Amino acid sequence: MSTLTDHGDPAAGAALHAAFPEVTTEACEYRGDVTLNVQPAHELEVIRHARDELGYSLLIDRFGADRGEDADPRFDVITLVYNLETDKRLTICTTLGGAEPETPTLIPVFRGADWFEREIWDMYGVRFSGHPDLRRILMPDNFPAHPLRREYPVEGEGDYAAPKRALGGAVDTADGSVSVNYTPTEEPGSTGGEGSE
Amino acid sequence: MSDARTLDVELHEDRHSEHMMLNMGPQHPSTHGVLRLILELDGEECLKCEPVIGYLHRAKEKIGENLSYHQFIPYTDRLDYLAPLANNVAYAVACEKLMGIAAPPRAEAIRVICAELARISAHLLGLGAYAMDLGALTIFLWTFREREAVYTLIERICGARFTTSHTRIGGLATDLPEGFLSELDAFVKEFPGRVDEYEGLLTRNKIWVKRTQGVGVITREQALQFALTGPNARASGVDYDVRKAHPYCGYENYEFEVPIGSEGDCYDRYLVRIAEMRESAKILRQVLDTLPDGPVLNRDEAALKTVMPEKEKVLTNMESLIHQFMVATESINAPPGEIYFSAENPKGELGFWMRSEGGLSPTRMRIRSPSFAALQVMNEVVPGHLVADIMAILGSIDFVMGECDR
Repeated sequence: MSTLTDHGDPAAGAALHAAFPEVTTEACEYRGDVTLNVQPAHELEVIRHARDELGYSLLIDRFGADRGEDADPRFDVITLVYNLETDKRLTICTTLGGAEPETPTLIPVFRGADWFEREIWDMYGVRFSGHPDLRRILMPDNFPAHPLRREYPVEGEGDYAAPKRALGGAVDTADGSVSVNYTPTEEPGSTGGEGSE
Repeated sequence: MSDARTLDVELHEDRHSEHMMLNMGPQHPSTHGVLRLILELDGEECLKCEPVIGYLHRAKEKIGENLSYHQFIPYTDRLDYLAPLANNVAYAVACEKLMGIAAPPRAEAIRVICAELARISAHLLGLGAYAMDLGALTIFLWTFREREAVYTLIERICGARFTTSHTRIGGLATDLPEGFLSELDAFVKEFPGRVDEYEGLLTRNKIWVKRTQGVGVITREQALQFALTGPNARASGVDYDVRKAHPYCGYENYEFEVPIGSEGDCYDRYLVRIAEMRESAKILRQVLDTLPDGPVLNRDEAALKTVMPEKEKVLTNMESLIHQFMVATESINAPPGEIYFSAENPKGELGFWMRSEGGLSPTRMRIRSPSFAALQVMNEVVPGHLVADIMAILGSIDFVMGECDR
């Protein structure tokens, strides 16, 4: 077990906070992962500092998360970077508020952020200013919504709603209960009379 | 001689024609699934290559946020569908990290067997298809012979060849069947010789060398910038293997090398995968020698509400039946928190980032897929190559769309 919780480096988190005390929160540690919250406008320079000064040179992932319709600020953009020298990982999180969330693109620091940011735009509707090609990536170009937002139903809606049959055992997460809407079209055994002889 | 060369250059300069847009895929055989490439060509030379993905998008992350932790296990089979067992292992360990429990030693060792068998079968398919796309048909038939042997073993472990769903949170669905170890032993004895055969066909094959050396070079800098992991990154000299850097499932107990390439071209990616298959066989040999006894499900008092009972007991014992019913219907009340766990999958680092606010399902399930990152590098690498080289580059990157599109 211990090996699962040694991924973060608290010293590096503290060093990063010391370099940007105004715009970052203190690093917090949970199950061995070190996370730092940073103000959106300064995310780029903080991650560049982590890459150039602290050796976090490998981009692992960049993705969004939604705290729910009622939360403000609502969206997180989370970046994982990795240090190949010390074998430690760092999580940098920036939180965006407002109806039209927007944050600067990370492409100047990690060119590979391109597709990851397109996915965040696609799924959450977070804009990345300065991104050269911010189009949908996984959903069709004419898709009307940002489907990973919490209010978007898992079975889809409008033209993209799943056929009713497919909704058999959907979990209703609104109250956490499991609802089974499935009604069999035929009673099992009712047609068995002649066929079984 | 020199005249001919200059003449050729002049001809080449004269020849500049209109650029052509070519749509490759989504049903092109070398795209292995449903990848579409929009190519801009000047004659046979490729100027721009834009991958279009999403044709296999099945909203796995959304589904994961609406199912209980146990219910999501079968969905992980369909991520990298060439190595479903490895996905099962990665997801189970991620959930265990979130819940703060661990699998017993025997389950961990069997998970290593699962993950390494999955790696071998995925690399066999990757290598076979890669070589076939470049015209070497024999190798495809040969790798599929061994792949069949691996799938027979996988079928013995869990009764299914592809849709394995073998892991449970806190352990495994079943223990190994009787006689399995001797079958695995026979395979591990035979397999290194088979890898020699593949190498005999390819490593010094002039055509193979011509088609792959110096083609599709990814520099170390590019690998870091574009979030490459796994064999693709290691071929470019990035010394990063999750099994070494952050051992899970007891990988720290086994000795193995992490092959690293130097050039980052298609040939290096081929060599790295060949070497990885040998290392996997070495790991399997060590697991066979040290496989501990004991239960395959966590039976601690504290984990009772999280971990399913043994299936045999469910069928014969009232208490276990109730136990399974409670775990399955009430599901797991995970503690609130955010975790990231990644495992070294055949294609690279497969990560699960989960945010739990307590309750039955995570409020965010992020799946970090290695193929998504690997395909992004296409537009960086392909320009300047010929159309025929694209098959080599695609084959050597060894992606799988099920995981890329999720």
